[in-house]
Amino acid sequence: MTGLKILAGIACAFAFITLPYWANQGVMFLAGLALIEIIFALAWNLLFGFTGLASFGHAAFFAIGAYLTGYVLKAAIGIPFLLLILASGLAGAVVAAITGLVLLRRTTGIHLAIFTLALAEVLRLFIGYSTALGREDGLASIPRPVLELGFTTIQITSGNAYYWFICVMALVLGGLLWVICHGPFGRVLVSIRQDPERTAFMGVNVRGYRLTAFILSGGFSATAGSLYAPWAQIVTPETGHWIHSTQPMLAALLGGAHSFWGPVIGTLVFSVINYLTRNLIGLSEVVIGVVLLVIVLAAPNGIVGLIKMIRRRFFSTPGSSPAGTRS
Amino acid sequence: MGLIDIAFALINGLATGMAIFLVAAGLTLIFGILKILNFAHGAFFMIGAYLSYTIIGSNPSSIWLFVVAALVGGVVVAALGYVTDLVVLRRLRNVDEAFMLIATFAVLLVCSGVVKLIWGVNYASINPPPGIDGAVIIGNLFIPSYSIFVIVCGVAIFVGLDFAIRRTWIGKMLQSIAVDNWMAALLGINVPVALTATVIVSFLLAGVAGGLLLANQTLSPILGDSYLLLAFMAVVIGGLGDVRGAFIAAILLGIIESSSSLIMPDMPGMATYLFVILFLLAKPQGLFGDHGI
Repeated sequence: MTGLKILAGIACAFAFITLPYWANQGVMFLAGLALIEIIFALAWNLLFGFTGLASFGHAAFFAIGAYLTGYVLKAAIGIPFLLLILASGLAGAVVAAITGLVLLRRTTGIHLAIFTLALAEVLRLFIGYSTALGREDGLASIPRPVLELGFTTIQITSGNAYYWFICVMALVLGGLLWVICHGPFGRVLVSIRQDPERTAFMGVNVRGYRLTAFILSGGFSATAGSLYAPWAQIVTPETGHWIHSTQPMLAALLGGAHSFWGPVIGTLVFSVINYLTRNLIGLSEVVIGVVLLVIVLAAPNGIVGLIKMIRRRFFSTPGSSPAGTRS
Repeated sequence: MGLIDIAFALINGLATGMAIFLVAAGLTLIFGILKILNFAHGAFFMIGAYLSYTIIGSNPSSIWLFVVAALVGGVVVAALGYVTDLVVLRRLRNVDEAFMLIATFAVLLVCSGVVKLIWGVNYASINPPPGIDGAVIIGNLFIPSYSIFVIVCGVAIFVGLDFAIRRTWIGKMLQSIAVDNWMAALLGINVPVALTATVIVSFLLAGVAGGLLLANQTLSPILGDSYLLLAFMAVVIGGLGDVRGAFIAAILLGIIESSSSLIMPDMPGMATYLFVILFLLAKPQGLFGDHGI
């Protein structure tokens, strides 16, 4: 089964990398967006699927990264692009650290959800009122940067080049998140999600781990936003809207929140639905809503859970992974 | 900033607060008893508004027609609530709350998609019916009579709901379910029927609110979002599931929202969220602490 999974992964990566050769510009743009949203969804799910904290305001971190990158690129200050991405991620992490220090002290569950929602709205309103950030119109015509690697410079100003750059970054960031989630750190997070009290009993600093997860999640979300700004070439306050915060949530739950690959599959499915229903306003929402309902009612563990269930039922392999462990 | 400004902001705030409460009432009811944070509430509020609009058009002829249209919208939305309960909510009674959240969000998506498909994405504006389209003038104070109408509606619904919950046997039954539904079932209360009834009443309130608040605002498919967020805040500040708390919290939020135009005129809306954050940091259990409805 692992072989099949690797094969699917390679096929998927191949499709994404060769996309500029066989798809039109519109599809390529959506594919780039999907890759960025995948990073965003993975970052959110580090917090929800692994640590058990649901943030409803993650679009705020995304917007921080997007606006910082967009603003600096437009102002042409001359900061190397990779450094700018790193700075955006750090900015998101710093904001996450400050808010996390205050919020995680006493709140989890529904209160955390409302807190993060309110904070994100404050940020979005602030951006909407800030003249330097273009008010409600946002920052338009953001230039795509030149990549300076020290020994060489790569032009990623063209659509294709920047698309491949997104592919590489998605691989790097996704890989980093994979390592974080599957290492000892990720295992502690999972045990916190399953039973915070017992984990604390074993001598784990629960609040410290939660805060670290929050910071990492905020940082990666901001990095995703940073990749977004030059790709869309326009950043509006809508990127920080709470509707955008629900995007990674839906993707993660659709794909399966307790699996690392769930958000990836969920985002891809969403992108395909959006693309197929793009001609009739309102239809995409109905289709996505109905699909979500069916998933929640029929397969509460998302698509990954559904695949596992089918596999268990039809290909019941001896010694297959017991319930609760992740792939 | 004279006395008149302050009085005007207060009246305005009261009207805004009552508008928030009209949406929050059903939301807090369903939370108190089913423990569901219903994302779809705003969408059903919007459907109620669109149904009323379809009945009365842009220029309603009388105040009675306006109210009747709101009630009709409410009844239709209540029927939709019954269907939603049957198809979705009932099946998810015993699963993790995250799935409930995503299920109601899915319902929200379906509803707003259907609204776009039926009524389109164009804006519509509706005038208040004759009788409440003018203003009452007391000295220098100018009060839109539609604001008074909204305040009266909000207070009426609050009084009715509060009476039903605290003084009638149905209310006492619901309170016992809110505290411990397993124990309530053991005592012979038909919990599933009570839960379904709660869903229906909550949706009825959403639909009626949509019709009543229809005038003086632009009707568009994003109408639900703006109210939903403020109503959420009122429900949380009021103490989740507490109708009285939600009523007071809605008034507070309304007054802050309207007076922020005096305090922070450059940034309307900001003060409300800052207040919510500070309040919840100081008092995370809400106004009166957690104790059922």
